[in-house]
Order: sequence, then structure tokens, then C-alpha cells
Amino acid sequence: MLETWRNINRRTRWTAVAVTFVWFATVFDWVWGGLIPDPTLLFATAATAMAIRMRVEYRRRHENIIRFWFAFTVSIPVFWQAGIYFSDWLEFDELRGYIARGGLATFFITGLIWVVWGVERISQRLEAERRHAFNLQATLRHESPVKTKDKKSQAKIWNPLDPQAWYYGQKAPRLNQSLSSFVSYCVTFFLVCIILSQFRGCTQYYDLPAGGGVTETVQRVVKVQKIIRKKFILNPYSAIYYNAPEIDEVKLELSEVTAHQYNIGDGEGEGAGFAGGTNKGSVGFFRLEYAGGDWNQDFGIGGDMNMLIKYTELTGQNVAKQSKAVTPSQLKAFDKVRCPPLLYITGQKNISLGNNDIKILREYIFDKHGMIFGDNGGSRHFHNQFLAMMQRIAGDVKPVRIPADDDIHMKPYQIPKVPIVAPHGGVESLGWFKDGRWICYYHPGDIGDAWANGHAGVSAEIWNSSYRLGANIINYAHVGHSRWRIAQQKSNGED
Amino acid sequence: MIYRKKWLLISMLAMVLVLTMEFQVLYAQTKLTEMSLDRWAKMREVERYQMNIAEKYYKDKKFDVAMSEFEKYLSLYEASDAASFAQLKWSLCLNQLRKQNTAIKEGFQSVIDYWPESADAAKASYLIGKTYVAIGRVPDGKKAYQNTIIDYPKDAVAVYSLAGLAEIAIREKDEASLVKIWKQMTFDIPRTPLIRSTCATAANSLAVYYFNKGVFASGLKSLQTNYKDDQLSYYVYYYSRTPIGSLVGTDETQSMGYKVADQAVGFLRENIEKDVSTEPLKAKAIGQWSQMIELQKYSRRDKEILAAYRSMLGVFGNRDDLLSSIADYHVTQKRFEQSRTIYRQFKDKVAGLSKVAQSFRSELKPDEAVVVYKQLAGIDAENGATWRGAEAATYRQFQKYPQAIQGYQALVKTDVTNFQQWIWALATTQHEANQFKEAIGTYRQCENFPENYKQMAACHRALKQHKEALILYGQIVNGHEGLAPWAQLQIAYTYEAMTSRELAIKAFQSCCKKYPKASYASTAHAHLQNKYKISVTLGGATDE
Repeated sequence: MLETWRNINRRTRWTAVAVTFVWFATVFDWVWGGLIPDPTLLFATAATAMAIRMRVEYRRRHENIIRFWFAFTVSIPVFWQAGIYFSDWLEFDELRGYIARGGLATFFITGLIWVVWGVERISQRLEAERRHAFNLQATLRHESPVKTKDKKSQAKIWNPLDPQAWYYGQKAPRLNQSLSSFVSYCVTFFLVCIILSQFRGCTQYYDLPAGGGVTETVQRVVKVQKIIRKKFILNPYSAIYYNAPEIDEVKLELSEVTAHQYNIGDGEGEGAGFAGGTNKGSVGFFRLEYAGGDWNQDFGIGGDMNMLIKYTELTGQNVAKQSKAVTPSQLKAFDKVRCPPLLYITGQKNISLGNNDIKILREYIFDKHGMIFGDNGGSRHFHNQFLAMMQRIAGDVKPVRIPADDDIHMKPYQIPKVPIVAPHGGVESLGWFKDGRWICYYHPGDIGDAWANGHAGVSAEIWNSSYRLGANIINYAHVGHSRWRIAQQKSNGED
Repeated sequence: MIYRKKWLLISMLAMVLVLTMEFQVLYAQTKLTEMSLDRWAKMREVERYQMNIAEKYYKDKKFDVAMSEFEKYLSLYEASDAASFAQLKWSLCLNQLRKQNTAIKEGFQSVIDYWPESADAAKASYLIGKTYVAIGRVPDGKKAYQNTIIDYPKDAVAVYSLAGLAEIAIREKDEASLVKIWKQMTFDIPRTPLIRSTCATAANSLAVYYFNKGVFASGLKSLQTNYKDDQLSYYVYYYSRTPIGSLVGTDETQSMGYKVADQAVGFLRENIEKDVSTEPLKAKAIGQWSQMIELQKYSRRDKEILAAYRSMLGVFGNRDDLLSSIADYHVTQKRFEQSRTIYRQFKDKVAGLSKVAQSFRSELKPDEAVVVYKQLAGIDAENGATWRGAEAATYRQFQKYPQAIQGYQALVKTDVTNFQQWIWALATTQHEANQFKEAIGTYRQCENFPENYKQMAACHRALKQHKEALILYGQIVNGHEGLAPWAQLQIAYTYEAMTSRELAIKAFQSCCKKYPKASYASTAHAHLQNKYKISVTLGGATDE
């Protein structure tokens, strides 16, 4: 392998090192850092360069087949990660999942082949050396082996690459060596995977959109339509012709619109937004990715993205380009103050969260001033699962039916009755109230379906009300978080 | 760990008692929300008329109308003595309409601000706390309760507020405050009619708390504030049994449990009726003995239980009811032979044999049970149908369907008086035996619509006669409002079984649309999405 490396000219060698470094940096930044605003070009360049290189290597494969397979191996993670990135970029969620799993499997198998090949090659070399040292003539002459003073040759062999290592035994050392190599590789591979999946990486930030406003109940837009019917003061069918002058020049339709004249948000900044926000900030929609159930119901375009789009229409605040899903460990990676104010949890099966995940969610609610928005996506079972989860997160807080005149149901949009698509968990919205705020809002009837394309076929009144309720909850969480951020800044003595 | 378990247990028991307390407070609150007769008398006729209209709507649960009527009263007779009451009721209407924040700020608080001297101000003060707790604002509720206690210490609402604080202490696992409140309510507050039940419940809760801690004497002292003589004995038994059971159930507290059991049994023994000369006194004494033995059963000490039974038999002789109780205990301990020996000693042979047969069934010995039932049918010819029915039920229990069906068929023919009972038993047995065609015919003779239609439809579906099943479900939809959503869902499932995809989808959607608030709509909605990947499920509703 080293020989192969040495055969490559110096310029190409360093170019390859530089490209690899850039590629690694891009992947790390994309997954954990977020310093590069748009790594699309870098991924595209890396993937194209790799494809060109592979084409060259394929043509020259007869010169050095090992080099070709080495290049092929190197290309796997490049194409794999690029595939994941571009499917994510194009929002092909299902394809992204397949590429992620397929790439991992290919990477595992390729690594395994290299391990088998490497171990075999080295063990063959060692065997050959041993055969070379072996004195056949002396054995044929039945001469007793010369006792050497060299203790090294008599010592136990510890090298795992040597099939004669003492721990492989006498019976089937090659088989034992192959098995141990396989097990060691598998264990190492899975350990690395587990460690990487737990690796949170750099701190992430969530900024609120800058601006200001008030959160008051939006007055309903009233349209007064005055229709003036034409009144005939003369009989139009009369045999006598009258040149009737136009007596009514009033417009037939009058409309008077009373719209709200203030921004929705919190603080005294300009435009709809939050005093605790920044110019780069936008309102995002984060959902929890958990094991055990279909957390991704109505996720992305045509689903919860509709809610985000409607939110900007209803409030005038900037919203993120796409809704996002976070695992508990990714949620933990967010800054202690600049973290998402609202976490949406939906599904219809089990909510499998470990003690560590629960701890993260508890920290998110109580230390990071977060709020959970639960939505029952399809069963009574999920209702029980959600309540059990909340019992683990906030055991001392009992759920109550949220009053109709609570701020969350009144501001900015008045929700006189909670809209339900299907009564999976009953028809009452529940809330967990602690430290002067709702730490969790639970919607029992699949509000996510009302936001999605087609609105589940429910009436316009229901889905409109569902959007308004969604806007109220998102705004409630953001207003609360904005005030808390400002209070945190003040208590930390910052500007 | 043990501490946590114990605390959990205490909390659960306390919660049960507090719930009882809550109901009592609610009962008292209904009195709180009513106006005294004196005040009614002081009202002018016109005022009384308007108030009655508002009250009528309130009682009819038309709270929005009632609210406007109370409001009307307030605008017409602001200076009247009952104006504060109208304001209070207006706030209660808001509470019912789930506008609790408005009820507190604009309702109850107005009563306190505008009519501070009225009797309703104290009620409003208490109701503020109660409403805050109901909407999850526990710290505000706690503060409001404390203010009520300070502002109106001699009013009944102060005690209700203490009960509210006790409930919060349980939620917050604040044992010290909880015991302090209970002690105050049990021993310090004089019992007036309005607060008697609230204080009594607190005393009971305190007694349970002490029993759980293994302090029998203190528990007894708490109960003595509520009960005397025979009542006290009964409530010692009533409130000590669960703590004894839970203490004995854990290794660490077992000895403590035995101690409490011994003390409780000792107390009951001291107060037992010794004069058994008359039947009523004898019945009373038997009841007290039974309570004593029950306590021993909670302590799970077999030797003591049997000894107590022996003593009881020594006092009262071999009465059938006592023998039955002993034999039943043996059954719970799986000593079937012993139990049957005792059952056979009954003076009432029929009752004894019936118990013997039942014991064979419990021991999964159907043949022996059948023999006894046959014997019973011979001895007790008057009730022959009952015993033959029991025989058939035994066959059915052990899945010997041909014999069971034969038995029920004979009963259908012979016992005309109980025809419906036997025909239903026959139909369900045939259904269980997968004799669907026969079952359908038999169900048809039953008169318990819609249950028979449900079962007939199930049989048709099992026979893959989907069209017949659809007709029956359709009849349920039209004929029984309560089961209509269920039947509509079944129609959808039946279409699905017929592989009529379009019709199944329409039926599921119809279930969502027609019954948007029924749980079956939820099932249909989820099924459409999961199986057919259809997001347009129709339906949609709002909460009440």
C-alpha cells in the first residue's frame, strides 16, 4: 500500500490530501458545525472530482488493481455523504434514508473485505518467512533442532496477524484468526458508529427574528357589504317611453375593512419579530425524532411546512426555509439560551425515550425555557404514551384542560373552540402549567393533519382554526422565550 | 427505594381520601353556590322573579343563557342584597364555559371588590383558589387559599381552603405540611354542620396516614374525633385493613404490619358484642367477628385466621354461613378438598352441594361438577332448570360444546318462563362452537337488540356472507344511536373484507364525517391513513 502511495507523484499526492481535508471539514461543518452557510458547491465539487478520479482509475486499473480498489474504497464515503447531502437538499427524505443505510452497509462490507485481505496477506507473508527459515534438510536427516540461545524465537507469539499466535490454538489457527478478525472488526465498527451517533459536535444556535410588536387579540376583519338594489320609480314595461335619468350614482358595493394596525411579536423593534431576536433569525419548526413510532407524520413540504408558511402570513414574522427534525442528542447540542422555543412531538405508536433522553427534554423545558407541543397523530395509545412521557418529564405537574380564555387560545387569534380532525385522544386540549407558563400544550386530535395538504378533508373553518391555533402556540412559545432571553442577558450583565 | 414505595402508597391512599374530600367539598360548594332562604326572603318580587329565571337556566346547564340572565339582574337591581350572589353565579357560569381566567379577574374578584362585606365575598375568595388550581396555576391557587384563610378565618371557606391546601401538599409531596393541615382540621377546628364532613374526611386521612406509619394509637385517636362505639369499631376495621395489607406485603414493613393488625384486632375484640341472646345481637356479633377475621386475612397469617374461625365456631356453633365463610377461605388457599368437606356439612344440603360443584369447577374438574349438578337436579326438582343450566354452563366453560348445546336445547324446550335466558345462552354457545349458521338462527329468536344483531353480523362475517352482515350493521346504524358509530366502522371493515376498496374507503370516511367526536372516528381516520395512505378522511369537529 505504501508502495502504491509512493508511486503517486508529489503534486497529486498533496492535492489528494488537500481535497480530503476540505471534504472532511465540509462534512463535519454540515453535520455539527454550521459555519459554512451553504456547502452545496463544496459537496458538488468533491463528488465531481471523485467521479473524474474514479474514471481515470478505472481506465488504469490494469496497471495496479490494488490502487484502483483503494480509490474505490475512498470514493464510497465521498459519494455516500454527498448522496445524503443532495437528497436532503432536494428534500427526498425517503431516498436520504435509503442512501444513509445503503452507504453504511457498503462502507461496512468494503472495510470487512479490506480487513480480510490485509490479514490474509500479512499472515501469508509471515508463513512464507517461516517456511523460508525452516531447514528441511535437517528435518529429513532427523537432526534434532539446534537449540538456540535466542529466547525471542522460543517466546510465545502475540502478534494477532500471525496465525501461529499462541491464543489461536493448535487445532484450527487460521479459522480462529479469521473469526477473531471478523469479530474485532464488527465490534470496532459498531463501537465507532455508536460513539459518532452520540457525538453532539459543536453548539447549535437558534435565533429569533428581530423586530417587535405586541401580542394582543387580532380583531376580526369585518367587511361590510352594502348592496343597493335598483329601485324603479317608473314602470319599465310601460308603453310610454320615458327618458329616465340615472339617479343612483352610488357604488353598488361598499366595503369597510378594519384590520389590526400593529405587529405581532414582542418588544419595541421594527417589523414583526422579537426584541430578543437577531436579523439572521427566523421562526423555525422543530419536531422530535424519537425511536419507536412514526414521528415524521406530515413532516416537511406539504405537512408542517404549510404551518410555517401560514405562520408568516398570519403574523408577518420571518420563518425558516424548512421545518426540521432533531433527536434528543441534537436538541442537547443547542445553546443554553439560543435554542428552539418550541418542540413538536407527534405520532401514533410508541414513544421510546431512554432516561438520558428524558433528562435532555427536562433540561430543555426547565433550563432552556422550552415548550413541548404534542399532537396525537392517530391513537389512544399515543395519548397514553404522551401522558406517560410528560409524567416522566414533569411528574409534579398535572395536566389540566386549558381554559378557552387563556392567552394561548386568545392571542393573537381567538380560538373559541379547539379544532379537532379526529378525536384520537378525546376532544380536550391539555396543558401542563409550571412557573407561570405552559410548558406543554397537547392537542388530542391530529392538528398536523389539518395543516397538511388536503387538510384531511375537514371543513375550511376547522383547518383555518387549526392554523390559527398553531400560530398562537408558536407565537406563545417565542414570546415567552424572547422575554426569557432578554432576562437571561440582563442577569448575565450583557447588553 | 422503600421510602419512595411507602410514600407512593401513602400518596395513593391519601389521594383516594382527598378525592372523597373533594366530593364532599363539592357538595358543600353546592351549598356555597346557593343563597340562604333569609336572603331570598329579603328580595323584592321582581328581583326574585329575575333570579329564578337565571337559576333555572343554570340548573339546566344552559350556562351562556344563565350568564346573560345574571348579568341582566345585575344591571337591573345593582343595589339589591342578592347582587353579589348574581355576580358570583355569573362567574360560576364563566367557569363552566371554561373561561376561568375571566371568571377570576372579572367575576370572583369583583364580588370581593364591590361587595366586600357580603357573605359571597368569602365564597368568591375560596373559589378563586379553587379555580386557579383547576387550571393548573397551583402557586396562585395556594396563595388564594392562604388569603382566604387569613381574610375569613371563621367562615366555612377557610376549612375548604385548608382541604385545598392539603390536596396541593399531596401533589407536592410535602408530608410535613400535609400532616399539619390534617391535624389542624382533625383536632383544632370546631365541627359546625357546614364543615363537619370536610373535617371528618381529614381525620380519616390522618388515621390512614398513621396506620400506614404503624402508629395505631394515633390513628385511633384521629378516628375517635369522628366516630364512637360500634361505628368506631367498624371504621377502625375499614381504615386499617388496606394499610395492614400493604405493610405486610413488603418484607421491610411486615413486622410493623403484624403489629398494627394485632392492635386493630385487639381493639375490635375488646369492643365485640358479648351478648348473643337475641338474633339482632347475634347478627351484630357475627358482623364484628367477621371484621376481625377480615383484618387477619389482610395480615395473611393462615394460622391466626383459622384460629379465629375456630373461636367463632365455638361461640356461634356450626352455622351454614360461618361454614361457608371458612370453606371459601380454604378455596382461596387452593385447599379444595378441605373446602368440600366443610360444604358437605351444611344443614342446607342443596346450598352445600351447589358450593361443592362450584369448587369442582374452580379446580377444573368438570365431570365431578356435572355429577353433583345432576345430583342437585334430583334433590331439588323445583329448581331443576337452574341446575341443568349450571350443568350446561359447566360443559361450556370446559369447551364441551355438544353436551352444552344439548343441555341448553333441552332447557329452551322445557323452561318456557326463562326462554330468553336459555336461547341467548344457546346462541352464544353455538357461536363459540363455530356453529355459525345455527347460531344465526338462534340469535334471531333473541329479543335483546342490538346485541343479537351484532352477534348475527359477526357470524355472517365468519361465514363470509358479507352482504347479510352489512344489512344487519345498517339496521344497527338506523336503530341504535349509541352503537351507530361502531356499526358504521364495522360496515367499513366488512367492505374491506369484501375487497371493495372504494366502498370501504367511503364507509371509513363516512364514519369520520358522521361521528367526528366518537372514538371510532379516530380509528377510521388512522386506518385510512395507515392502510390506504389517504389523508382526506373527512370529519373534523371542535371541543365543547
